[in-house]
Amino acid sequence: MKPIQESVGKKPMLGWIIFLATLVVVFLLGLLASSIMERRAESVFAYTPQVEYNQWEPRNEVWGENFPREFESYYNTADTSFNSKYNGNAMIDMLEVDPRLVVLWAGYGFAKDYNQGRGHYYAVDDLRNTLRTGGPTSDKDGPMPSTCWTCKSPDVPRLMNEIGVAEYYSGKWSSKGHEVVNPIGCADCHDAETMNLKVTRPYLIEAFERMGKDINDATHQEMRSLVCAQCHVEYYFNKNRVKGSAFVQLPWDKGMGVEEMEEYYDELEFKDWTHKLSKAPMLKAQHPGYEVYLKGIHADRGVSCADCHMPYKSEGGQKFTDHHIQSPLNNVANSCQVCHREETEKLIKNVYQRQDQIIENRDKLEELLVRAHVEAKKAWDLGATEKEMKPILMMIRHAQWRWDYAAASHGGSFHAPTETGRIITTGVDRAQEARIALVRIFHKYGFDGEVAYPDIATKAKAQKFIGLDMDKLNKEKETFKKNLLPEWDKKAEKREKTYKVKM
Amino acid sequence: MRKLFKFLTPPPQWKLPVLVSLGIFVGLGFYVLYLSKAASYLSDDPKTCVNCHVMAPQYATYQHSSHREVATCNDCHVPHNNVFNKYFFKAKDGLRHATMFALRMEPEVIFILEEGREVVHNNCIRCHSQTLTDPKLATQVPQHTHNTQGRVCWDCHREVPHGRVNSLSSVPNARVPVPSSPIPDWLQEYMEESKLENE
Repeated sequence: MKPIQESVGKKPMLGWIIFLATLVVVFLLGLLASSIMERRAESVFAYTPQVEYNQWEPRNEVWGENFPREFESYYNTADTSFNSKYNGNAMIDMLEVDPRLVVLWAGYGFAKDYNQGRGHYYAVDDLRNTLRTGGPTSDKDGPMPSTCWTCKSPDVPRLMNEIGVAEYYSGKWSSKGHEVVNPIGCADCHDAETMNLKVTRPYLIEAFERMGKDINDATHQEMRSLVCAQCHVEYYFNKNRVKGSAFVQLPWDKGMGVEEMEEYYDELEFKDWTHKLSKAPMLKAQHPGYEVYLKGIHADRGVSCADCHMPYKSEGGQKFTDHHIQSPLNNVANSCQVCHREETEKLIKNVYQRQDQIIENRDKLEELLVRAHVEAKKAWDLGATEKEMKPILMMIRHAQWRWDYAAASHGGSFHAPTETGRIITTGVDRAQEARIALVRIFHKYGFDGEVAYPDIATKAKAQKFIGLDMDKLNKEKETFKKNLLPEWDKKAEKREKTYKVKM
Repeated sequence: MRKLFKFLTPPPQWKLPVLVSLGIFVGLGFYVLYLSKAASYLSDDPKTCVNCHVMAPQYATYQHSSHREVATCNDCHVPHNNVFNKYFFKAKDGLRHATMFALRMEPEVIFILEEGREVVHNNCIRCHSQTLTDPKLATQVPQHTHNTQGRVCWDCHREVPHGRVNSLSSVPNARVPVPSSPIPDWLQEYMEESKLENE
């Protein structure tokens, strides 16, 4: 090749051509690069909020400005018109339906009042209304700690951020009444900036850490269950972390099954309360929905909570996640039938069949537990010693833990029917073992009759039987609603006026 | 060959500028490859398909369908009769998509082309051949043979798997794994820090 200098020297034009050709190629390459960049940036700006707020904005209405469809469907959880065979979204007084529960929870708040809950929309209202939270007269009295607010509102992460976690968990339930006013909502599960799913409750992150897992590794599909697992899990109050604070803790250190948790509690020698009749050190299982779901076939097949309880919805050429969180039985077409090509009636029948089969044995176990408690009381009356009673009371504790685990994990008989059936069976076994041991004690102390099954045909009779003064409780509640509640709302309104929102 | 090589070799006094300019071109080329996440297109990961956010509705609807657990985009949308055909078709389709995307030619509602229809239909059969060749169905279901011939599966199974609403603006709030910023983390952090210092 001749040096280009020579050629260019002869024909200056050639030099210009080379220059221009290079220029054009570089220019076009640059254009391509910047167009790719621009289109990538588009995807970042695809979601541009109209209203700006921060992560701690507790008012769902404010988030709803940006996401009208999600927000409006979410507030459909105010609907209470759907009844399935056993549940639904209407409020059911469970103690009226099944007065045996009153005896099982004698000495514990649940004997006062227990309803099958309504939708998320009512989280704060129903907590204020239930007799379990009592009728406080100031921010220093009442039966319950602040911790009871933990699952009820996006005000909770806000408060934890403002005053610190330990401070939030301290004091009485009434001390945070004017702070926690918005029902469960957007900020509980979403990141304000990206709208990605987010875990906002520290105890779930800690439970993962103690199991040696990192919750940040969870896939998007897992997150669609984990945001629910922030609340629909078994928990207890740990009062030993910081003095005067009741921290929420999940008992998953040994595993997430019913036996592993029982072992965890036994090792801690933890009890929720001492039973009023039998004096057994009782455990209260609180809605281990997530743990039971994990044992079922749907979890195994990669189906998340949101797939059935918040399926995709079409509305005017738009698709979005239906935030009307509800029983899939009220929305079979978009939940079950995405995978199961069966008639609606048939699918519902399949669910009811599982529920019927489970509840039959669950009710039997309830009856056995009522008998065990009453018989244990008789044993004490006959003069049985602590030493004689201790192993029996442990059996009662374990039997009722299993019953409660099955009963309180709402939907468990569908989420994991075989596991729920197994749990109830082991419960029946322990309840009967306890009763056999009690008969030996009766024999020893010369009692050979049958201990009468108490007359607990109605809620009122059952509550009278365990010695609850319902009139007093109801009066206290009324006074609280008249005096303290309006004050809370006024204070909250005043505070929320000071929040910064950019329209 | 040697002659050609000789012809192309620049004279000594030009070596440096030629190297530099070649470097610029190659560097720009790599930059374009990096920006467009070119390597990801070799995989079967559905996330690759939302490198362009235009595919968000398709990704989101698939993520909410029962096929989510058993199939990736490529399981249905590229041929599987042999490996050469697979990658040839994939490259052809990909280049067409890339061109249209770069030139902003994407329509508001994306429809599949005739070629793609055939590929998808054959892939339905690839997994579901049992339902087409089941003698029990053929004898018991009226019109079974007639219904399974001469039409595509989704003439009847219209909701599978993307549903029937697929415009570009049909899923405004879908949480789709679109590519994150091309700026590496260390640089991002440095930029954040200097921003704070200057405030």
